[in-house]
Amino acid sequence: MGSVRAEFLKLKRSLSWAVVVLLPLMAVTTGVVNTVVSDQQLGNGWHTLWLRVVVFYGLFPLALGVAALASLVWRVEHRGGNWNALMGRPVSSAQVVIAKLAVLAALAAAMQTVLLAGLVVAGKLVFALPGIPPARYLLVSVVIVLACLPVAALQSGLSMLMRSFAAPVAVALLGAVGGVLLVVTRVEGVAMVVPYGLLGRATQLGTGMFVDSGAVTTGVVAALVAAALGLTAAVVAGTATVLDRLDIR
Amino acid sequence: MIITHDLGKTYGNRAVVDGLDLRVPEGCVYGFLGPNGSGKSTTMKMLLSLVRPTSGEIHIMGRPMRRSTRRELLGHIGSLIESPPAYGHLTGRENMRLVQRLLDLTDNQVTQAVRTVRLRDHLEKKVRDYSLGMKQRLGLAMALAREPRLLILDEPTNGLDPAGIEEIRRLLTKVADDGTTVMVSSHLLGEIDRTATVLGILGNGRMLFQGTRDELFARSVPDVLVDTSEPQRAAALTARWHTSRLDGATVRLSGLDDKATAGVVSLLVHEDIEIHGVRRDSQSLEDVFMDLTEERGL
Ligand SMILES: Nc1ncnc2c1ncn2[C@@H]1O[C@H](COP(=O)(O)OP(=O)(O)OP(=O)(O)O)[C@@H](O)[C@H]1O
Ligand SMILES: [Mg+2]
Repeated sequence: MGSVRAEFLKLKRSLSWAVVVLLPLMAVTTGVVNTVVSDQQLGNGWHTLWLRVVVFYGLFPLALGVAALASLVWRVEHRGGNWNALMGRPVSSAQVVIAKLAVLAALAAAMQTVLLAGLVVAGKLVFALPGIPPARYLLVSVVIVLACLPVAALQSGLSMLMRSFAAPVAVALLGAVGGVLLVVTRVEGVAMVVPYGLLGRATQLGTGMFVDSGAVTTGVVAALVAAALGLTAAVVAGTATVLDRLDIR
Repeated sequence: MIITHDLGKTYGNRAVVDGLDLRVPEGCVYGFLGPNGSGKSTTMKMLLSLVRPTSGEIHIMGRPMRRSTRRELLGHIGSLIESPPAYGHLTGRENMRLVQRLLDLTDNQVTQAVRTVRLRDHLEKKVRDYSLGMKQRLGLAMALAREPRLLILDEPTNGLDPAGIEEIRRLLTKVADDGTTVMVSSHLLGEIDRTATVLGILGNGRMLFQGTRDELFARSVPDVLVDTSEPQRAAALTARWHTSRLDGATVRLSGLDDKATAGVVSLLVHEDIEIHGVRRDSQSLEDVFMDLTEERGL
């Protein structure tokens, strides 16, 4: 646990927080501005607002945001003698990998919280929607955060191996495009085992877009969660094995 | 403390470290010397299992050091390899707290380490704003805080001014006096000559010498210098049996032991050459080091 707590200490004064706050707020703003400018109504209240904000957010920005966060948390390790110090401690490779993922998971959860909060504020202040969003969006949010994990694990592995900040983010962009294609062309089976595809799929949960039925059923939720956890475990195991064989430069 | 057997590392088809048999006795300060690119850092990284050896074995504190066993050993080893670690966006204190959490150290251990490197007054500053010497000292504090039995330091004096170098030197002596075995590398003999009790000299990835500084001196005999009335003739005569050349008006003979020196004197006397003086050249450890590393075509 020491290594996880140490990772959280490194977040102090980190640029990561800017990504966590700005990216979801940008998504909310985009959805709101689009609605206001095109003079459309929120026919279905909270549901329509969610559609306008979250579906687009899930297609590209979210994967890129997670990738940027992964690059940011690894960037500090590529400086000076930090790699040597990181691996010169009595900590296993798996612990190093898991500690980074734990931080990314927390950041992803924070990002989703900001998104939800932004959505509620926009719904209330801009559109004067009644009540609060239905509770199922909370469940969907948890699924989205879990679906961030495989992408976070994969991007974390890439950022671990690459000193470059931008290269892993570029990979995420390609991945997101691929994921969107998978989801849009309705090859759901494949989308579920590709991290970017899974993330795209999860953000459509309950929206009725593309492959989604519009209902949040136990079956879909269970499948998404199982796929997310399974993929994450596989990527973490792979990354830890790679790190165990790596020569530190 | 450290024993390696036939340790080697090959990158591509280039042997960067080759057939190294290190012997670092417990409680010593081991000076690990070698010119740039001779493989010091690579060796130290292998000792810490940061780099996986291509061949050979490492035993530290009697236990094998491998990727699978490194965790048990690393808790007792403090290290500082190449550039100092630390996170620039955090303060010195925050960096120390990070190490403390990772290694489960007491407040007292951290305070003590910070006091040893005399960094107490700079803990609230961000490391980004530290001078190189301060970063180096913070790195040392991070390595020392776990009260290691073995300290592995790669060129800790790199980039420091003479006062900083002297300070590190004193610190190493103090740490060694407290019972920690220290292995410290440098490409300048003068920097660790006075602190190190055992020396290992590396050239092109191979061990050129390993032993005490007295043994190092003993290994190479200083030149014999002869002043005579006829230096040209004396040089020509002695050159038949010895490596001999003219150095100004002095004849310089290399590799002569005491008996051979007596032989040369009697030869010259026999040839009616007046001898004004015979003496050994004075030689610094630095010369010995240079001889050793140049001899092998470095
Ligand atoms: N990862 C690597 N891949 C290829 N070659 C490497 C690698 N790491 C080191 N080398 C080569 O190995 C040789 C020894 O490097 P090393 O850093 O161990 O030397 P050093 O004695 O520490 O030198 P210095 O005094 O400059 O620090 C160098 O020629 C270097 O180019
Ligand atoms: Mg080096």
